[in-house]
Amino acid sequence: MEKAPAAPHPDYDLLRPIENPGKSFYYIVAVLLVIILYTGYVYIRQVYYGLGVTGMAQPVTWGFYIINFVFFIGISHAGTLISAILRLSKAEWRRPITRMAEVITAIVLAIGGLHPILDLGRPDRMTHLFYNGRLQSPLLWDIVSITAYFTASTVYLYIPMIPDIAILRDRGVKPRWLYEFLSWGWQGTEQQHKVLDRAMNILMVVVIPIAVSVHTIISYIFAMTVQPGWHSTIFGPYFVVGAIFSGIAAILVLMIVFRKIFHLERYLKLIHFNYLSVLLLVMSLLWFYFTFSEYLTGYYGHEPNEMRVFWYKFSGAFAPYFWTMVTCNFLLPLILLSNRKTRTIPGILIASISVIIGMWLERLIIVVPSLANPRLSYPTGIYIPSHTEWMLFLGGVSVFILGYMMFARFFPVISVWEIQEGRQESAKTVTERITSYMPDPEPPLAKG
Amino acid sequence: MKWGMVIDLQKCTGCGECVAACKLENNVAIVEPKESEMGRTMLWMDMLTVYEGEYPRLRVRQFPRPCMHCDHPPCTKVCPVRATYKNEEGIVTQIYPQCIGCRYCMAACPYTVKSFNWYKPEWAPGIRETANPDVSVRPVGVVEKCTFCVHRLQKAKEQAKSEGRNLRDGDFQTACAESCPAGAIVFGDLENTSHRVNPLSRSPRATRLLEDLGTEPKVIYLKEVD
Amino acid sequence: MMNNKLIDRLQILSISLIWLLFTGIAVWILNLIKESLRLHDAPDASLGISLVAIPVFFTLSSVLTYVFIGLRKGRKKDVES
Repeated sequence: MEKAPAAPHPDYDLLRPIENPGKSFYYIVAVLLVIILYTGYVYIRQVYYGLGVTGMAQPVTWGFYIINFVFFIGISHAGTLISAILRLSKAEWRRPITRMAEVITAIVLAIGGLHPILDLGRPDRMTHLFYNGRLQSPLLWDIVSITAYFTASTVYLYIPMIPDIAILRDRGVKPRWLYEFLSWGWQGTEQQHKVLDRAMNILMVVVIPIAVSVHTIISYIFAMTVQPGWHSTIFGPYFVVGAIFSGIAAILVLMIVFRKIFHLERYLKLIHFNYLSVLLLVMSLLWFYFTFSEYLTGYYGHEPNEMRVFWYKFSGAFAPYFWTMVTCNFLLPLILLSNRKTRTIPGILIASISVIIGMWLERLIIVVPSLANPRLSYPTGIYIPSHTEWMLFLGGVSVFILGYMMFARFFPVISVWEIQEGRQESAKTVTERITSYMPDPEPPLAKG
Repeated sequence: MKWGMVIDLQKCTGCGECVAACKLENNVAIVEPKESEMGRTMLWMDMLTVYEGEYPRLRVRQFPRPCMHCDHPPCTKVCPVRATYKNEEGIVTQIYPQCIGCRYCMAACPYTVKSFNWYKPEWAPGIRETANPDVSVRPVGVVEKCTFCVHRLQKAKEQAKSEGRNLRDGDFQTACAESCPAGAIVFGDLENTSHRVNPLSRSPRATRLLEDLGTEPKVIYLKEVD
Repeated sequence: MMNNKLIDRLQILSISLIWLLFTGIAVWILNLIKESLRLHDAPDASLGISLVAIPVFFTLSSVLTYVFIGLRKGRKKDVES
């Protein structure tokens, strides 16, 4: 506590935002808080008057809230899943990325997980889920799996953060009690490292199936009904692929933003963007493959109800959205990312933003057309989102930005100790590992 | 006991009396024209129109559409809070005080029969006094639908009990069946051979909506023969 | 230091709260199973889901506790206090 300007640190660039946040931080927080407060008012208004203030009606009874629910939870797959896979596959380039990705997950999950509540006609009766919930309903599966994923990803974010919190504690950063409380007495002893490593190994393995289950179960909300366009066995993996796809795009955008704001060019190098953008390209191809399979089977089967939904998307009222989605999710990323000349930071930024928009449109295209085209001869449904719904969407995004800023204000967005560990040990362990891949030296021939 | 309905499309004139009777019987809210245009009309019994063929040989068919009261209802399965369930007499009911308004049942219903209370239902002064005291008025934010006039079953049962007898055919009639001027809607116990619906439901003209989904609707349509 | 003791207690309190939360979730799920059995409302589905869900939550809280205790045991021998 005695030395306020702490000793120089080799990775001071990563700690600067915490130790000297700067003024613009407070301005942005203020703007976001205004938006969030207004959103809160809009929501209270909705609770007071009823869901009539939205654009939903019969037969399109689900709209923005469910779309954004799927969208936000999709983005959340950025984090934990990617970082767990990268850690598990011992990809050394992961080190500056994992933390950022995990934070996305924790924040976005909290936002996405609340969306079904926004959608309730009677949020005051939420407690009915506690004493009268039916585990047969896919909504309950969702509650359980999202709770599991949220807790797992928060634990998975927190545990590898303990050594960094200890660094901040030791540097006497304020509020000191916070870092003292959260660092759990970390001193960096060998025994402590061993415990941390073991816990992270268990968590990586636990988190991957939970993450996969979450988006599979979200797809089940739709796939478990018998509605045309929803009742599809491919939906589980299709949603998971889409989720990882949008997640990678979200990480890339955030990496570019942080690199710019916090001047992290030394840490987030072109190679990291290059690797991740290739991954984005692969996911784009995979997404296209799933989309193609999904629609081709529907088209070829030619079931009349299925076809109504199909044409509604391909050439009907939703055609503009559909073809924009194909452009955003497939054509644009394909062109930008497969060419080395355009696989630059601006190119990757455009591709990632286009993927995020495209994936949002994908959710719109999954939720609305199936509802708008009921099986019996009703007039086709119309859905025009109202001001309330747009506002709650904007509010959700603002909460995300605010949440991320608050995190970056108090904790390093790049794992300091893992970077240090990488500097000290990576080269050695990687060399050892590669040596172990090499064919064994020929055994001396036994003279016969 | 398995309550069911037979609708003879040969007799149905598409007059819409059943739609009006249902609305009055069940205190179904009347929404403003602006809301109605958005698709928020509340109809437990609806009259659907099907256009068949092309201009010179165009045919317009109409048929009434109540809740199908499926034997395997897709809506009750997905309800997260037991706000809709199939009772032992086969009627799929809604429990309004239990409903949290997630509208999953509406999304899951292949017949799109459910309505949602987007706003607090309001009645014009004159209409309020004519409300049916036997049917509860739904609050804002819950899902509702045709109940086969289950409140009338309650009354019929009490009546039969007080007279010391079993329910007879016709004791329990839905408002739509009762009001139909053409006698196209017949209601009764599908399992009881003394009820008119029983032989009718086995008519060669009998068909059900979207039979191939396996929902086993208990509303049976008798096809038109021309 | 007085402050250290308080933080120490708060840490123990937080880990206990996490156990309380996860136990609460387990109790909730068990209650739902009980209800589904009582009402004959798809008890098989409920059992299947809970068999997967409950162990996941307890694995998570066990890992957290393991780290919590492990880090305490792994501290340098308390010379300063």
